[in-house]
Amino acid sequence: MSRKKKGFIPALALLMVMTIVLSACGGKGGAEGTPEKPVELIWYTIGTPQKDVDKVMAEVSKYTAEKIGVTVKMSMVDWGDYAQKLQVMTASGEAVDIMFTSSWAFDYVQNARKGAFLQTDDLLKEYGQGIVDTLDPAFLEGSKVDGHNYGIPANKELPAQEVWRFNKKLLDKYNLDISNVYSLESLEPLLKTIKASEPDIYPLAVDKNQVPYVPYDYVIEKLPMAVPLNTTDYKIVNVLDTPEMKQILKTMHKYYKAGYIPTEAATLDSLTDLQATGRWFTDRATTQPFADNLWSASYGYPVVSTPASEPLIYNWSVMGSMQAISANTKYPEKAMQFLNLLNTDPVLRNMVDSGIEGVHYKKVNDTVMENLDESKNYDMPTFALGNVMLTYLNTTDPANKWEEFKKFNDAGTKAPLLGFNFDTSKVATEIAAVNNVKQEFWAALMTGTVDPDVYLQRANDKFKAAGLDKVMAEAQRQLDEWRAANK
Amino acid sequence: MSAQTQIQSQSAKGRDFHKLGPVWNVIFHAMAGIFALMCVFPFIFVMIISFTDENTLARNGYSLFPEKWSVEAYSYLFKAGDQLLRSYGVTIAVTVIGTVIGVIATALFAYAISRRDFKYRNFFAFFAFFTMLFNGGLVPTYIIVTQLLGLKDSIWALILPLAVNAFYIMILRTFFSTMVPDAIIESGRIDGAGEFGIFFKLVLPLALPGLATIALFSTLGYWNDWFNALLYINTPNLVPLQSMLMRIENNMQFIMQNAQNTSLSVGVLQSMPQDTSRMAMVVLATGPIVFAYPFFQRYFIQGLTVGAVKE
Repeated sequence: MSRKKKGFIPALALLMVMTIVLSACGGKGGAEGTPEKPVELIWYTIGTPQKDVDKVMAEVSKYTAEKIGVTVKMSMVDWGDYAQKLQVMTASGEAVDIMFTSSWAFDYVQNARKGAFLQTDDLLKEYGQGIVDTLDPAFLEGSKVDGHNYGIPANKELPAQEVWRFNKKLLDKYNLDISNVYSLESLEPLLKTIKASEPDIYPLAVDKNQVPYVPYDYVIEKLPMAVPLNTTDYKIVNVLDTPEMKQILKTMHKYYKAGYIPTEAATLDSLTDLQATGRWFTDRATTQPFADNLWSASYGYPVVSTPASEPLIYNWSVMGSMQAISANTKYPEKAMQFLNLLNTDPVLRNMVDSGIEGVHYKKVNDTVMENLDESKNYDMPTFALGNVMLTYLNTTDPANKWEEFKKFNDAGTKAPLLGFNFDTSKVATEIAAVNNVKQEFWAALMTGTVDPDVYLQRANDKFKAAGLDKVMAEAQRQLDEWRAANK
Repeated sequence: MSAQTQIQSQSAKGRDFHKLGPVWNVIFHAMAGIFALMCVFPFIFVMIISFTDENTLARNGYSLFPEKWSVEAYSYLFKAGDQLLRSYGVTIAVTVIGTVIGVIATALFAYAISRRDFKYRNFFAFFAFFTMLFNGGLVPTYIIVTQLLGLKDSIWALILPLAVNAFYIMILRTFFSTMVPDAIIESGRIDGAGEFGIFFKLVLPLALPGLATIALFSTLGYWNDWFNALLYINTPNLVPLQSMLMRIENNMQFIMQNAQNTSLSVGVLQSMPQDTSRMAMVVLATGPIVFAYPFFQRYFIQGLTVGAVKE
């Protein structure tokens, strides 16, 4: 017994030393970053993991080793897991060089402030000139956090424009004209026709996530603080107090009572069931060029749309898809060189996007390609992997697709708060309380389920009690500072 | 069991002390029956949904008696199925290896601290107990597993973090010290058995019910674990079944929250399995583990020590 016990402690110590030594052996050494001795960049990006990632990255690495002396190891993390997993990874200081970030997954602003990303102002100047040249300046300007860039936005649709989407079958059947539709009110005659003749159809499909469009730029998405789009004095107001919002909520409630809106709208998670069965007439969505084609292909029946707002460049639309360099990367210059190549070099960009030519796709001509059977093992989310305008067109795409994207981007105007990011750390408790109130009232109000004359006041009282005024004052203070700094 | 009571009630003619009045009997049976139904019903419902026609489901919503039945979901799963089979393989391997390792480690630890003549028993008991009160939290655990132990993307990352549970050690220690009398250990020593001989030949057979309990807990723990895979596994080849299900659920939820993001929702929705396929996956994922219960149950009545020691 006692002999065994004595042996135990040294054995444990030995085991621990061994593990440390062994894990340290995993590191690399030597003069690096040349085609002969490339460095390995570890790249985490979002999307359902694909079988052939390693195979494709081996090809990519051959190409990038030659060009800039790096090899690439890509790890994909599934959509729903991405934010949580990357949070843990960055917190634990895991070896990552490049990672995907955005306004909707692994929040860019928040993590930039936490120090997860490397500040790239100087790197951009030195190694990222290609990026600066290709991107619309609004991208880099809009993705600044506290005056610095922490990520490279993907060149894609820049503004966000709201549209009304219509189920074309029904439009044709009743010979309805959508050319005059713009505001919510202008929909009424169409909704009336559908309601009267198609009892099984939801005339206006709305789920609990929808917010009627009002011409305001929100400080935080879906919290009732905003500035008017045509603001000159940048005064933050409570959206629920504005005449536009009051008016539109009244209209929504009217539609709800008239039966245009699904009765369960305030608790409806999504419209996917309606869309699958085609039992809807119109709904609202954010568009991009040729979105009608995308929607039609995805639902299996024709969908058309008409604008419901001006195209505007918001923070969240600029930060829709970005690649950032990790704060604990060992090779910041190499990472920036790689991102630069990714956003400017069509060969690399298409390899990353579509795989290996002749295996996953074949080229039809210089700009058009066709997916082969193997592409099911390498099906990547194009918009999440850098400059989309370099990617080859599909045979079904219109030839002028990227020109239309450029036109669309040029048509966009800047929203007033573009580039301003509210730092909520000082009012975190109030924000939490305000969010609770929001949970209580928001969906019911926004879907028109309850009467705004009664509930708007109640919601506002509760928002006030939760400390909305304090949050707004803090936001106003930061906004004023930001404006003074950016004059 | 019921056969036994029947025999008893037949043999004891007249008054039976164990028999309930008919009214109470009905009430208790009804209560137990309703409770059982409440437990089983959701699962039956899931099965029904998995056999519903996809279009019918979208049109009518969930229904106990769908208009149109279909096995489309299952044929879809088995056609696109090498991921599913692989995940099955991973889950079964992890469960079997993990349970074996877990039970051995737990039993060895628990036995040592159950022995009164072990000098450091209190220290080691506290050592285990301490982890029940405090743990390092997510990020430190992650650092240990991935950086110190280097288990990232390895099947051991699914096995080792769950292998030893302080609570199971406490259960088993109590079991050893109450169910295995010191006299038995002493008798083994008198007959010339060494420590290992006593442990394997005397103590373990007597402790079968306790071991079976631990094994069952740990089997269920491994089978249902998805969080470790979320943290440590990137290769699709090593994703266990529950984690695969969880990923799909998370993705669905994620897309719903981001429905306004056109490029995202259109691109991702196409790659999502439909409602019925998800339910079919639930059925396939839950099915096999049901058989674990009867397997372990037969050990619960074994290993009775009555009569082994005369005091």
